[in-house]
Amino acid sequence: MAFPETHERETRTLLSRHMGEEEARTLDGWRERGGYGALEKALEMEPDEIVTTVKESGLRGRGGAGFPTGVKWSFMPEKGDDPHYLACNADESEPGAFKDRELMRWTPHLLIEGCVIAARAIQAEHVYVYVRGEFFEVIRILNRAVTDAYEAGYLGEDILGSGWGCDLTVHVGAGAYIAGEETGMLSSIADGRAEPRIKPPFPAQSGLFGDPTTVNNVETLSSVPMILDNGADWYRQWGSDDSPGTKLWCCSGHLNRPGNYELELGMPLKDIIHDVCGGVPEGRQVRAVFPGGSSTPILSRDELDCETTYEGLSEAGSALGTASPIVMDESTCIVRAMRRVAHFYAHESCGQCVQCREGTAWVTKILERIERGGGEMEDLDTLYDLCEQMTGKTICVLADSVVFPLESSLDKFRDEYEAHIKHDRCTATA
Amino acid sequence: MPEEENSDLVSLTIDGVEVQVSEDSTVIEAAEKAGVVVPHYCYHPGIPTRPAQCRVCLVEVEGQDKLQPSCKLPVQDGMEVHTDSDDAELARKSVIEFLLVNHPLDCPICDAAGQCMLQDYAFETGQLQSRLNEEKLVMGRDRIADDILYFADRCIICTRCVRFMREVAQDDSLVVAQRGDRAYIDTFPDEDLDNPFQGNIVDVCPVGALVHEDYLFKARAWDMDKTPSICPGCSNGCNVTLDTKENQIVRLKPRYNGEVNSYWMCDYGRKHLVMGNRGVRTEVPLVRQGGELEPMDWSDALAAVGERLGGIEGGSAVVSPDACNESLHYFRRLLDTLGVPADAGSYRVEQGEEHTLPGFPKLTLREDRAANGTGADLFGFRRVESWPEPEPGAPLFVLQETLREAPESYAEDASFFLYLGSHLSPAARRADAVLPVTTFAEMAGTFTNHEGRVQRFQKALQPPGIARPAWMVLSGLLARSGDGSPVLDAADAFGEMTDERPEMAVLNWGRVGLKGQTLDSGAGAEAGAGAR
Amino acid sequence: MSDEVELHPAVAGAQPYMRAETQGENSAPEDAPLFDDGAGRERLEKVLSRYPTRRAALLPLLNYAQERNGWVSRPAMKEIAGELDLTPAYVHSVATFYTMYNQRPVGKYLIQVCTNISCDLCGGEEVLERFLEETGTRPGETSEDGLYTVMEVECLGACGFATVVQVNDEYYEDVTPERVPEILDELD
Ligand SMILES: Cc1cc2nc3c(=O)[nH]c(=O)nc-3n(C[C@H](O)[C@H](O)[C@H](O)COP(=O)(O)O)c2cc1C
Ligand code: SF4
Ligand code: SF4
Ligand code: SF4
Ligand code: FES
Repeated sequence: MAFPETHERETRTLLSRHMGEEEARTLDGWRERGGYGALEKALEMEPDEIVTTVKESGLRGRGGAGFPTGVKWSFMPEKGDDPHYLACNADESEPGAFKDRELMRWTPHLLIEGCVIAARAIQAEHVYVYVRGEFFEVIRILNRAVTDAYEAGYLGEDILGSGWGCDLTVHVGAGAYIAGEETGMLSSIADGRAEPRIKPPFPAQSGLFGDPTTVNNVETLSSVPMILDNGADWYRQWGSDDSPGTKLWCCSGHLNRPGNYELELGMPLKDIIHDVCGGVPEGRQVRAVFPGGSSTPILSRDELDCETTYEGLSEAGSALGTASPIVMDESTCIVRAMRRVAHFYAHESCGQCVQCREGTAWVTKILERIERGGGEMEDLDTLYDLCEQMTGKTICVLADSVVFPLESSLDKFRDEYEAHIKHDRCTATA
Repeated sequence: MPEEENSDLVSLTIDGVEVQVSEDSTVIEAAEKAGVVVPHYCYHPGIPTRPAQCRVCLVEVEGQDKLQPSCKLPVQDGMEVHTDSDDAELARKSVIEFLLVNHPLDCPICDAAGQCMLQDYAFETGQLQSRLNEEKLVMGRDRIADDILYFADRCIICTRCVRFMREVAQDDSLVVAQRGDRAYIDTFPDEDLDNPFQGNIVDVCPVGALVHEDYLFKARAWDMDKTPSICPGCSNGCNVTLDTKENQIVRLKPRYNGEVNSYWMCDYGRKHLVMGNRGVRTEVPLVRQGGELEPMDWSDALAAVGERLGGIEGGSAVVSPDACNESLHYFRRLLDTLGVPADAGSYRVEQGEEHTLPGFPKLTLREDRAANGTGADLFGFRRVESWPEPEPGAPLFVLQETLREAPESYAEDASFFLYLGSHLSPAARRADAVLPVTTFAEMAGTFTNHEGRVQRFQKALQPPGIARPAWMVLSGLLARSGDGSPVLDAADAFGEMTDERPEMAVLNWGRVGLKGQTLDSGAGAEAGAGAR
Repeated sequence: MSDEVELHPAVAGAQPYMRAETQGENSAPEDAPLFDDGAGRERLEKVLSRYPTRRAALLPLLNYAQERNGWVSRPAMKEIAGELDLTPAYVHSVATFYTMYNQRPVGKYLIQVCTNISCDLCGGEEVLERFLEETGTRPGETSEDGLYTVMEVECLGACGFATVVQVNDEYYEDVTPERVPEILDELD
């Protein structure tokens, strides 16, 4: 399980600088690389100043929603007697995404440092890092790092003699994508079943154990130390006004060089596919791409010029999501791909909302039938109707997550669906 | 629905109708006030949490782009809500369609048919068929308690049952297992529910997924008659509805009373009546003549009894704590006429274990397993552990106490033994006259519960033979000796009782209504309020 | 848990819990208790020390049950319920929400093949087929020798290295059908 050779070193600039270096995982190795310097700096800053710096950097949440991180931190109430919590979302389960795993297995101390700085900013006394259960390798590495960080005084009651401290606990999940949705994750920790709950109240008002809580993604928190080290302006030299900085892109599917690449935000999608990832194998053409993970609207070959910023992808009718393009070449049956995606969301629905519980399963069954042969043209109308009724009506957006790719694929690949129905099999890939 | 306290009122419009509600209400409650029932499954007014998970109560609110769950949405001053907009109606319709996706549509054999919220709404939205071309998920049925079955295929995972158990019964032994469309309701494997209030989960279930095995296929909801009544199981006096069919009680269902039992009742109360109505009924008056009990019609029987009573002075009496206030009243009057000393009348109450419903402690299955011990007390009867053996050679008067548990020789030596009762036990057969009276279900009257709340019950069944309410029989008997006139109507009996009893003067038949009135409910001042 | 170093409480609830050491023929009998020895008590205390409520220790303790016994048995759920002041039904509800808890013993090697979109595009289904073929099992079923249980799994979060296969607590990346026999050979 070595770091794959397919990674292009020159694209690794900031976050992923030390990926692939065994020693960076150890505390000493990390210190040699300047680790925990940002924390020392943060300990001399007031919480407000940290929040302001991160706000000014324009850093946006990397968990999928892209909410500005500093702004989110500023929603935390004034610290009173109630504890504050930071929950680090390391549940990474969106199909297509595999960046947090890499961050944690190569640079666990970077995450710890980011967590402690964020905890200071929001005055949290305890950080829970919720790691998806399957990530055993990550867990071993992270556990080692956390133990060492406690030993060295980067965690605990009185961090580096500052008089301020916080705890960090690694909490391990057990196989549920919905535990990645923020309120689902808080339910998973506090109550067991990862059932999202209706907002408001937002976690900053009433989160973990009913107390003010901020939820942040691994990549978001891992980006914080360098921002404190170098300042907001430094960070803003990359990317656009609304999408500053760099971002890990998880590229998978039909690519010659799939993998994680750290890129300045804004590179055209087609360049990521063709230049960074070496294009699709055997000289085939791209048929379609889910640009931000399987829950983002599908883009067809003609739409790949868009800039990979939050705003660029949204203008293109899709979303940056988890920045995880899943590339499908000409050999791909769109019906099958969509069926596979729908199956996932049906499998992962927590089951509370009727539209989601029944809708995801129903959509999957229809797609299965069309794929098998046995579809009817009316099925497409039914699918559109179901999409409409699953949009914006549920507790969380898992139901919408199947609608985005499905509805867009119906719009853009209708002829393929129709041909598949007519011939009872895929003709597009023949 | 929270009673309106003194909290501030806000006003909003529901489909154009302006309503004022307290500021801590939700939109669904405000809508109800405006006369609009928004379909709902997971919301139940008696269960504290509002998970807003079934998503059927979605409404449109001006200024908000997404539809909002009205069961959870707090009201705001000036809010404009549309429950009937196209989007809201379509969303609702689609929830029904989604629910029908895996629903077996076995209404013809479903116990809930006729009182099913899925059937109702599906009917309203004109959508009894689903477009589903796929195979339905089949999960089958399961026993979750010794008398409750769970039909997983009908379940819509509203979690009302789970939340009733968790939050109201505070017994966390019913849960959702699995997730997504594989989710179902479950207990710990191989362990049944065992809670004295678990029967309520059947009532809260909006569909036919939870069913009392005893009632399975017994009767369809629409061919049962429903009569407001009071549970006679204990002194709590829970408000219930008697569901009857072919002159039989099929089941009891709780009826909302925020002062007594909320939306709930206990399992003992459910079973006690349905199971406990055994024994030989008295159907016609019987008067002893030449050693034998001879059947007679009422006028002959009353004449014969009146004649015998003429020569009587003193004696003792036994009453049942199941007798209603009105019957006890006339019985006391009769005893006074006959010179029976006040302390010579006694009653005994069967005792049982007490169980409190934690989420609504006013609902407690009381140790006193009879409806009207408080009434018996009020009319001066003495509470005893076991009835004193009647004095040999003296008269004995019994009202509705079956004497089933009396010793074999009980009342053998009474000089005269008058028995007014609904059942013929061995001891009762020793009576000189047996006057058949109705059970509470066959008449109207009132009970006084443990905290002095006087509550009315109505007639649900036809009595057997020519049995009559005891208050009617007794007032007739008194009238024969010139004491008043026969009373034929429960309201009149009640009126006479409250006129004659100062401690009952605050009571008013209309005000007692369906929710009851307490004896200490402030004299005079508001007495007329409910007179209509 | 046999590690030389003492577990820091911060990570005590976060130990890998799908281990060949406790699966297959090594899985504990249904009634193997969790907390009646020193190791069990110590784990319990450490985990509890990290949360303000007992209930929050539920996942860490279910993980521990599987780490120790290879699966989550009914007596284990009851024991955990007892320690956390929960009902066994509640624990059952939580345990069945998650897909990683084995409700019954599995083979010594639990082989989970990702067939989600990225892996599917790169031949995940064929890899799954090959594993089933080589082990002579059907999905979810344990081979007669008790060695293998093969099943399909949702995205494992390593999509760039498709097809991804998880064997107990280890990932195998870039797996092709051709590599399957070799992987199985390595296991034993
Ligand atoms: C169904 C669903 C699954 C999600 N899964 C994840 C996840 O695995 N990891 C993650 O960081 N965020 C996930 N999110 C997003 C989180 O809810 C939340 O927005 C994020 O963790 C916030 O962190 P950020 O502001 O740093 O992005 C998910 C959201 C939804 C609706
Ligand atoms: S939308 Fe789906 S996953 Fe989200 S809360 Fe509702 S049922 Fe659960
Ligand atoms: S059994 Fe009835 S009350 Fe319980 S979740 Fe199912 S439908 Fe709701
Ligand atoms: S508590 Fe008493 S009155 Fe209420 S239902 Fe039970 S037995 Fe009947
Ligand atoms: S799709 Fe296989 S690891 Fe993500």
